[in-house]
Amino acid sequence: MSVLEARAVTKRFGGLTAVKDVDLVVNEGEILGLIGPNGAGKTTFFNCLTGMETPTAGDVTYKGAPLPKRPDLITKAGVARTFQNIRLFNNMTALENVIVGRHTRTKAGVFAAVGRGPRYHREERESEQTARDLLTFVGLGRVGDELAKSLPYGDQRRLEIARALATDPGLLLLDEPTAGMNPNETAAAIDLVKGVQARGIAVVLIEHDMRFVFGLCDRVAVLVQGQKLLEGSPSEVQSDDRVIAAYLGKPTEAETAGDKQ
Amino acid sequence: MDVFFQQLVNAIVLGATYGLVALGYTMVYGIVQLINFAHGEIYMLGGFGALTTYLALPSGTPAGISLPLMLVGGIAVSVTAAVIMERFAYRPLRSAPRLAPLITAIGVSVFLQELVRNFYPHARSARNFPQLVNPDYQIRLGSNVQISAPQLLTVTVALVGMVTLSTFVRRSRTGRAMQATAQDPDTARLMGIDTDRIIVTAFVLGAALAALAGVSSGLQFGQVDFHMGFITGVKAFTAAVLGGIGNISGAVLGGFILGLVEVMATQYAPDPFSGGAWKDAWSFVVLIIVLVFRPTGLLGERVAARA
Repeated sequence: MSVLEARAVTKRFGGLTAVKDVDLVVNEGEILGLIGPNGAGKTTFFNCLTGMETPTAGDVTYKGAPLPKRPDLITKAGVARTFQNIRLFNNMTALENVIVGRHTRTKAGVFAAVGRGPRYHREERESEQTARDLLTFVGLGRVGDELAKSLPYGDQRRLEIARALATDPGLLLLDEPTAGMNPNETAAAIDLVKGVQARGIAVVLIEHDMRFVFGLCDRVAVLVQGQKLLEGSPSEVQSDDRVIAAYLGKPTEAETAGDKQ
Repeated sequence: MDVFFQQLVNAIVLGATYGLVALGYTMVYGIVQLINFAHGEIYMLGGFGALTTYLALPSGTPAGISLPLMLVGGIAVSVTAAVIMERFAYRPLRSAPRLAPLITAIGVSVFLQELVRNFYPHARSARNFPQLVNPDYQIRLGSNVQISAPQLLTVTVALVGMVTLSTFVRRSRTGRAMQATAQDPDTARLMGIDTDRIIVTAFVLGAALAALAGVSSGLQFGQVDFHMGFITGVKAFTAAVLGGIGNISGAVLGGFILGLVEVMATQYAPDPFSGGAWKDAWSFVVLIIVLVFRPTGLLGERVAARA
């Protein structure tokens, strides 16, 4: 069963084609790695899947239904994401950040809040409990009351994941989850992503740390200059010459000729 | 000393009005970075909405019934105007350079004033406002210090409005969504928040508070006037900047400080700068001093800390 299907997704900015005819299927419960050199269009592709950009062409379905157009409705449908450059609500506490993530799963409106009826209190309590559980899940159980901006870098990344999980996603998109992390933090991130998978959530992650990608992902897709070069199991991708060429550049003809002599 | 305490009472009443209107400026600015110069007119429309409600009621309706209805009527008119204004004047310019919505706001302000002046019956000059709360009814606070019933009503309404708003923003689900939208609208959307709706909510809450101020000013001064929103709007804007625009407690603080400065300067400034003629000048002196020495306002760090 597939969770997400992207067909021929294309995104052009003026004359530049950032993403071209990309097909991608994400299966239920899998971890899919999306790799490629800088500027290959990975983040733009994520933006197309989350409504931050509207694809110029192509279509995307989530659990069989067309993906809504607006970011808030996409989140409501069940696709959540984190960012390459962390984007937390800095002036809120860690706990409040996660509670904001509960927004689509709660209802109480303006009048309920002013009237502060029993339903409002119950819902608030439930949101807070869910948020605390998620903080514990990502290993931030003790820092709930600290401001997001005062957390160390690795914790901020974890907090972003907790906040994304608070939206009850069926698919989580992680944009460079280990960027800037030290080896210990990276190792912990592997466990965390596996924990997310164990909750029945499919994960797509953009990552440059190849050991992380090949150690963790069930499948890997390679994006080069906006197009999908190939996809397959980690071992298939790892041993493909084209991938190495894409990262390191092809030897020029002169070099090739020189090698032969 | 009695004069001082009496002026203190007057300052609190005036500050309450400024604070109520300032909240609308500050909330909208906090979320969409727009100085909504038409907000003063929303205050004015609150007064006219209440007047219209009063005129529609059968004569002899007791004040206990007509007053709440007038508040509701005033709020309804202000809120409707604010929602229409947001939808048709500001939303299409959401991604335009900031100057465009600012100029538009000034245009909307002029439009609303002229709308009332030309189309509201007999509104070319000030219209009498029903004196439902007897202004001659004074409550003694000291031997020579007193507060009139409409003044007391103004302060009460303002305090209830301010406390409700601040609890709402800090504690409720929608309030948290407002804070999230103010800090980072794109990320807020990705958390499933319908930011368009949150922006409308900010306009609605601001308009409701401005309407309360409009009605209470009608009750205090016994009249409403199509251009009453201009000077009050500019003063409230000053109060919002003084407190740190975008900051809710700042708007209330700024309102009270401005009320205090204005009333005390009128009373105690040395000749020839004392008296009512200089009343408005003092507010702008405060504005200039704030802009020079503390452009982020008294409590303004949070806006500067935006990511």
